[in-house]
Amino acid sequence: MDIKVKNMVQPSMDGMDLSVSPAKRMWILAWNSAAFKFGFFIFGALMLTALVYPEFSSVDPTKMNYRARLLPPIFVGDWTSAHPLGTDQLGRDLLLRCLVGLRYSVLIGVTTVVLMFILGCGLGLVSGYKGGVIDTIIMRLTDAQLSIPMIILAIAVLGVSRPTVPAIIIVLGMAGWPLYARVARSVTMSERQREYIRGERVLGASDWRILFLFIAPAVLPPIAFVAILDVARMMIFESILGFLGLGVQPPTPTFGNIIADGRKYLINAWWVATMPGIFLLVTLTSLNLMGSAFEKARNQVLKGEH
Amino acid sequence: MFILGFLTRRILQGFIVLFLVTFAIFTLLRVVPGDPARLIVGGMAPDNVVAQKAEELGLNDPIPVQFITYLGQLVQGDMGNSFLRPKSGAIVGASEYDDPTRGNRAQVLDLILERLPLTLQLAGVSIVFCLLIAFPLGVAGGLRPGSWMDRLAFFAGSLFVSMPNFWLGIVLAMLISVKMGLLPSIGYKGFSYTILPAFVLAIELAPFVIRTLTVSIAQVMQEEFITIAPIRGLTPFRIVFAHAIRNASIPLLNLFGIQLGTLLGGVLVVEYIFDYPGLGLLTINSVLQRDFPLIQGIAIFISGIFVFINIIVDLAATAIDPRLEY
Repeated sequence: MDIKVKNMVQPSMDGMDLSVSPAKRMWILAWNSAAFKFGFFIFGALMLTALVYPEFSSVDPTKMNYRARLLPPIFVGDWTSAHPLGTDQLGRDLLLRCLVGLRYSVLIGVTTVVLMFILGCGLGLVSGYKGGVIDTIIMRLTDAQLSIPMIILAIAVLGVSRPTVPAIIIVLGMAGWPLYARVARSVTMSERQREYIRGERVLGASDWRILFLFIAPAVLPPIAFVAILDVARMMIFESILGFLGLGVQPPTPTFGNIIADGRKYLINAWWVATMPGIFLLVTLTSLNLMGSAFEKARNQVLKGEH
Repeated sequence: MFILGFLTRRILQGFIVLFLVTFAIFTLLRVVPGDPARLIVGGMAPDNVVAQKAEELGLNDPIPVQFITYLGQLVQGDMGNSFLRPKSGAIVGASEYDDPTRGNRAQVLDLILERLPLTLQLAGVSIVFCLLIAFPLGVAGGLRPGSWMDRLAFFAGSLFVSMPNFWLGIVLAMLISVKMGLLPSIGYKGFSYTILPAFVLAIELAPFVIRTLTVSIAQVMQEEFITIAPIRGLTPFRIVFAHAIRNASIPLLNLFGIQLGTLLGGVLVVEYIFDYPGLGLLTINSVLQRDFPLIQGIAIFISGIFVFINIIVDLAATAIDPRLEY
């Protein structure tokens, strides 16, 4: 696909300079879309709050206060309340807990995707470049991995061992790498055939130099949006594990364990379970809008519309 | 003739995959901490009873020997007995030392088959709901790229995919069952108990269907056989329904094969939320209770279903579009 588009002379709808590489056009297109800007702005604001607010707040997210139990959010009851989103069954500030939960969620989501990315792309690059027996082995491995019900493995492993942050990252990362390996492999295979790579080889470039300097950058654009969407997916998985009691353990607040606790008080205090969910929903929507904007831009560039 | 070669190849590959799954889960469960013998006889049992049970189960043999023994039983269709669940079907928690049902544990395969129909019902209803939600959005978006319908499909997809399923389940159970009293939500006493969980699952699956439909319909609409269809005198209705959707349904079928994992993950969580007594709830409980033979059996059984469904999906795709090769 890539090759065709590059060599074809396409009329550009918005007059974008066609001498700009397709990858760059994709970044520009994505950046200019309303969905991306919207998502970027919300996600940025949330991350900034999550980083700054807990540091400057005088309250500890794990500090209990029995006199302030199950206080409603300010827009329901008292506008002068010190707890914007209300408090939970132990009188802990919900906004603060959500923000700390968001830190863990993003930390686990991003690290997991980086792990899957390195593992998957590494194997995919080698597999596509070397071919032969190595390729067959790696590809059969991805096939097998894709047909294993990873969620069962994940809860089985985390259920019997103590779930710590690194354990969660490794378990989730193990579940997601095959997709990256497949994409990296197919890009490598098409890139390997191209004129300039053969030229490099004639000039005496080593395999590693070709792989990392020339092929690896080509793998990035088709995977960029998958990676952003995967951060959101991994954050959902993290919250599911937390909800089942298999995530980061209390008293550390995570979206999953706040919602699991709040579920018991749903009738009297709906906000404890509802607020973290809305928080998570907004964060994930912003990430997914960015990822989908990328995907759309890529499809447009590949179709030669821009 | 082609079809036979295809089937043999795929079934062989399937067995390799199943073998790898069995190996992986078997090893994993033995490497992680936790003493199965202690679990079976109960926490209060004296040490010599535990040791005797371990010997009886062959837990003292090296892991490769245990694995081969297990494989031998597996080929005969024997997945072993549950550690904790008695035949009567009652769920026991951490069992007592003198629990009278101890010698009478249920077969893993029976436990699985008993729960399977309810889960299949849940999955089936949710797929119907999912198509009802996703088809109008996806087709409308694909027919008019860039229009407000396309944008609506895009934003609906982004919103649905960001919805944590367990949270949606809790909130809907609260609003629809508790506050409005419209639908039951906890347990299973009849078909109406399937509706709410199925809806939550459908919302989780819908974004993938919407996205795939939008892209593939938009693509099909640019093909020559569609652009010349009005000249052949076909009505727009017929063009869309008989030609565009038919061709766009192949990526949809492949998607189904790929997203089985998502469906399964959703089933686990949703059954847990709604206390729906299917395979998902059985899985979560078996993990929380560390019922190793049951976890193993379920993982292998589900991998088998994955392999089987993916073969069926490929066969169905070639039935719809004979140009595809095996």
